[in-house]
Amino acid sequence: MDALTGWWDDFFWGSLVVVQVFVIALIMTVLFGLIGAAAKLSKSRAAKSIANGYTIVFRGTPEILVLLLFYFGSAVTLTAIAQVFDPEIKFVDLPPFWAGSLAIALIVGSYATETFRGAFLGVDPGQIEAARALGVSNLQTFIFVRIPAMWRLALPPFGNHMLSLIKDTALIAIIGLEETLFVAEQAIGYTAKPFTMYILVGVIYLGFSTIITLSVMVLEKYANRHLEIAR
Amino acid sequence: MSDSDQTNIIELENVDKFFGGFQALKNISLTVKKGERVVVCGPSGSGKSTLIRCINRLEEHSSGKIVVNGHELTSAVKDIDAVRSEVGMVFQSFNLFPHLTVVKNLMLAPRLVRKSSKSEAHDMAMKYLERVKIPEQADKYPSQLSGGQQQRVAIARALCMNPLVMLFDEPTSALDPEMISEVLDVMVDLAEEGMTMIVVTHEMGFARKVADLVVFMDQGEIVESNPPTTFFEAPASERTKLFLSQILTH
Amino acid sequence: MSFDFALIGDSIPKILMGIGLTFQLLVLSAVLGLALAIVLLLMRISGRWYLAAPTMVYIYIFRGTPILVQIFIIYYGLPQLEFVRDSIFWPILREAFGCAILALTLNTGAYVSEILRGGVLGVDRGLKEAGAALGLSATHRFIYITSPIAIRLALPAYSNDVISLMKSTALASTITLLDMMGIARTIVAETYAPYEIFISVMVIYLIITWIIQRSFGWMEKRMSRHVRSEA
Repeated sequence: MDALTGWWDDFFWGSLVVVQVFVIALIMTVLFGLIGAAAKLSKSRAAKSIANGYTIVFRGTPEILVLLLFYFGSAVTLTAIAQVFDPEIKFVDLPPFWAGSLAIALIVGSYATETFRGAFLGVDPGQIEAARALGVSNLQTFIFVRIPAMWRLALPPFGNHMLSLIKDTALIAIIGLEETLFVAEQAIGYTAKPFTMYILVGVIYLGFSTIITLSVMVLEKYANRHLEIAR
Repeated sequence: MSDSDQTNIIELENVDKFFGGFQALKNISLTVKKGERVVVCGPSGSGKSTLIRCINRLEEHSSGKIVVNGHELTSAVKDIDAVRSEVGMVFQSFNLFPHLTVVKNLMLAPRLVRKSSKSEAHDMAMKYLERVKIPEQADKYPSQLSGGQQQRVAIARALCMNPLVMLFDEPTSALDPEMISEVLDVMVDLAEEGMTMIVVTHEMGFARKVADLVVFMDQGEIVESNPPTTFFEAPASERTKLFLSQILTH
Repeated sequence: MSFDFALIGDSIPKILMGIGLTFQLLVLSAVLGLALAIVLLLMRISGRWYLAAPTMVYIYIFRGTPILVQIFIIYYGLPQLEFVRDSIFWPILREAFGCAILALTLNTGAYVSEILRGGVLGVDRGLKEAGAALGLSATHRFIYITSPIAIRLALPAYSNDVISLMKSTALASTITLLDMMGIARTIVAETYAPYEIFISVMVIYLIITWIIQRSFGWMEKRMSRHVRSEA
């Protein structure tokens, strides 16, 4: 345990990076999920096909492959573009933070697409009819009736998506992101205690998972508060 | 134990049942003799289902004594499985095993519990399927049968264990009206052959025709128990009268 | 920027040489993981706290931490511990293959046991009561009534987990194993052609995913033939 002295700071900053990636990726995931669900539910054959292609590709491909493809692929493309302007440039890449966040958001977003789609379909059509019959506009119905109902159905599986997201952030270390695994590797270089360091990383992630799980439980309780049967 | 116990298949003495703070059964005492047909009726929540579910220990009674065929019901496991094999139960929602064909549904328990051979179990299954008048459905799956047919299979399944007493928990309540009589007919035949039975039901016609005793329960208590003629023509309690007026109007 | 088809044609056979290792990782971990999952399930539903509690902790840890971290702990971390180096398992744990199998098995075992538990919980209470009413012992009820139905209920979620497991095998490439992913990464490092190589190997993974999905779909159809619409 003394091996960890002096490294607490670094692990702390590494954990912060994890949180940052998570937040950015979460926002993008919700976006991709909603867009994907909308496409799948739309009448346009083109939109449906693209969305289906999206889900099939990103749910059937190993995450690490997506990550590497994104990172190195974008690097090669960006470098090629940059070299058009300045042939001296050797290497341009998308910072691992952004390449990684985007990649994992696309991956989890493909699962979120299915979740949101199912949740939208699960909304009781009677509620929608009632709102429209009362004269509530399409947009207002969508915001005030559809979304809350859909959200309640989507929450449990979405909680799992959030857990996937936080765990996938660990993969971004492979492309050089300076988060906890990266810190661990440095620490191992100095202390030769791989077990200790990696266990600490595990504990940090377990901490994050626990926070997410508890938050989802609280959110679920809130979302279902009107269903509590009065005793 | 006194010799009258030999003819008493089921004895309940001062039985209470609590679900947390709620008392479902209050001081129930009831004796059912061999060959007797008892109908239990009452409003929802009166405890009638709980009562018969305590008899085969699907629910555990909180206090009091329940004796089934000479065995007192306690928490000793050996007792329970042995007792249950002597007591047949038919459920409101049939509860046929969906992954087994009709005949396999009937053969499962005899093979596992009585260690019957495959052919013995099969013969017995076919015999009871004929008894309930649907032998041709033997190789179908429950989902392919109508509600009335499924319930008759359920009765046959219980009969394959050659029980000493049959418990029926609202056997026709989940059926569409046109299928109720096919099930009641089977139950009437069973009664006329001398099967001891306790039937929780709203079917008062059945009670009148077949019952030796009609028991009215309300709010966990036995309010009144009388032979059908007395019960229907001269009910003693006001609550009984109220109940009868509510269910006999249509 | 052109798409080097010659390179693809050249690389695919090389990548496919890794398919043997990919399948070994997948099949071995799936089988061992399933066995572990059944043991965990029985412990979890045993009703005895001293069996259920450790199981719940185990599942919590393995589902709450990234699989990459689990792999690193086992491959890089365990050698730090003296009692591991001295144990009879050392020959296995010294090798990357053994470590990968161990990590994947422990991980999938945790997920699958929860999936099986979901199946068991989904079995209608009335069916279990009917079995009890017929005098069937608890063991008989579990084997002949609960299990067949639970398996059918769990099959969709299980097929998803097998696909996840397949994707996780790609992480073996991070600990020197030359499965398909490992070979692909080597080729990319030599040729700087991430798009061609990674997209090729992605297509292969997608084909495998498709095969797994079809197989399970066929199995689900077979098992559900007796369950039509509720009568």
